[in-house]
Amino acid sequence: MNQLLSEKSKILIVEDEETLAVGLEYNLSEEGYETIIAKNGKEALEIFENDRIDLIVLDIMLPFYDGFEITEIVRKKDPQIPILMLTAKTKNEDKLKGLELGVDDYLTKPFHLDELLLRIRGMLKRKTWYKKLTNNISIYKIGLSEINFQNLTCSRDGKDFQLTHSEIMILKYLIDKKGETVSRKELLENVWNISPEVETRTVDIFISRLRKHLEIDPTNPQYIKSVRGIGYIFNE
Amino acid sequence: MKKPHSLFYHISVFALAQIAWLLLLGIWIYWYVSNYIIFEKVGDQISPQLIYDGINSIPFIGGIVLLIGISLGMSFIFRHLNVQLRLHKLYDNFIANVTHELKSPLSSIQLYLETLNSRNVPLEKQKEFYKLMLKDSNRLKNLIDSILEISSLDQKNIAHDFHIYNAGDEIIKLSKEAILQFNLPEDSISFEGTANCRFVIDKNALKIVFNNLVDNSIKYNLEKPKINLKMKCGLKKVIIEFTDNGIGLASEDQKKIFNKFHRIYNKDIPSVKGTGLGLYWSKEILKRHGGNITAFSEGKNLGTTFKIELPIYKSSKVRYINKLLRRSKEYEISRK
Repeated sequence: MNQLLSEKSKILIVEDEETLAVGLEYNLSEEGYETIIAKNGKEALEIFENDRIDLIVLDIMLPFYDGFEITEIVRKKDPQIPILMLTAKTKNEDKLKGLELGVDDYLTKPFHLDELLLRIRGMLKRKTWYKKLTNNISIYKIGLSEINFQNLTCSRDGKDFQLTHSEIMILKYLIDKKGETVSRKELLENVWNISPEVETRTVDIFISRLRKHLEIDPTNPQYIKSVRGIGYIFNE
Repeated sequence: MKKPHSLFYHISVFALAQIAWLLLLGIWIYWYVSNYIIFEKVGDQISPQLIYDGINSIPFIGGIVLLIGISLGMSFIFRHLNVQLRLHKLYDNFIANVTHELKSPLSSIQLYLETLNSRNVPLEKQKEFYKLMLKDSNRLKNLIDSILEISSLDQKNIAHDFHIYNAGDEIIKLSKEAILQFNLPEDSISFEGTANCRFVIDKNALKIVFNNLVDNSIKYNLEKPKINLKMKCGLKKVIIEFTDNGIGLASEDQKKIFNKFHRIYNKDIPSVKGTGLGLYWSKEILKRHGGNITAFSEGKNLGTTFKIELPIYKSSKVRYINKLLRRSKEYEISRK
């Protein structure tokens, strides 16, 4: 089904619960992905350094380096690699911390297999789309900020901020729909490629991160404005 | 849910309350002294019948005593509130730990069930998955059992079946049983010294203590657990030193580990399973025996030593131990 998409994709599963790692490995292999397991943070970073990885499924509580530390290290080296956090930690602050550090998606345990696979598929699809989408656009100016779609950076006042893959995808989607109201549901379906019933808070977290980079006063946004009860609208 | 107030909030309220009553006391003294001076000066002229005889100072002193009493009461309530706050925090930790512990095996079982339901899994793989599911359901069972055990222990059933035993024999027996229970090889424990004296214990309760110590030496260890058990009979106490080769204990944790719900977080082993109650109950059990437990560590990765002290029969805490034996007999008779 997703053979074309998945046959080249290599997924790193970072999970210290052996039983869960085995189950994930089996299912992802069945979907046609290549998989590799790391039982702790050290192993995960070694594999990331030495192997070509297309996506990381990451637990938080891990020996040596936890999921947050791994995200920070990975993001510094590769802002584009999709990271899915899969954890039993359900506190909002953990989720926020993960997303702020640059995780693309966050799924809590126990999870449904279908949902996990859908999210992984969506993340990998976004990665492929991203290349196509940014072929004809490399730099875009929003107010004082300059977005570089090639290296995922945002420059303002001589400072560079690293954007994540998901952030840049949202921004690209909003730019394409300039002047139109875009609902959270639409963003979830088209950017995350997931069911809109799943989570709408995630969209808000990413928008607030984007505002921090683009807006002069993020509390009074000029470019990405909220449309009460619906979603967001991008205007220059 | 309403968020509990922070410690700072409670300290502020307490400080303000103290300032309020001190001010009240000050105003009161001022009022009393100024009235007294006026009374001294003009009292005789206003009403010659009123004679100051010194007894009037009793309500003044009584008032001060009462106010000091109020202040002490407030300090006591403040202290109690802080203990409750700390417990509340620890209880939250416990809930978070238990939730995490429940969710991990549950998500694994759910994953395998959904896999078996939606895919054509080969027979060999199916067998492997069933095995893994059983492993996780056992983990769930053990966790639920330990939670249920907590509630039964909470009802003052910590230990009730006390008998007289030879200390050395029982210590070896109980520790060997604990080793077996956790599937450790026999040579993972070594014994030093002898304890040829008698003590009074509830074997089942002491078994919980030894199981907890062995369990901790497995969980908080980066290598294969090696345990050394030293024992001796002192003048009044049987002394057992249980030393492992684990990750050790930071000095600030050496006392705290016996607190209810307290858990140690070590970056190298972050996913240690547990409820934070094992050592708390061990201490409670030993206290009930008239004994004690303390922990000591030389430092990181240098292992931990738990020192257990239990009274020797007829040499220490004679009245208390006899009471335990008497109650055990009564308990046995009531059960018959």
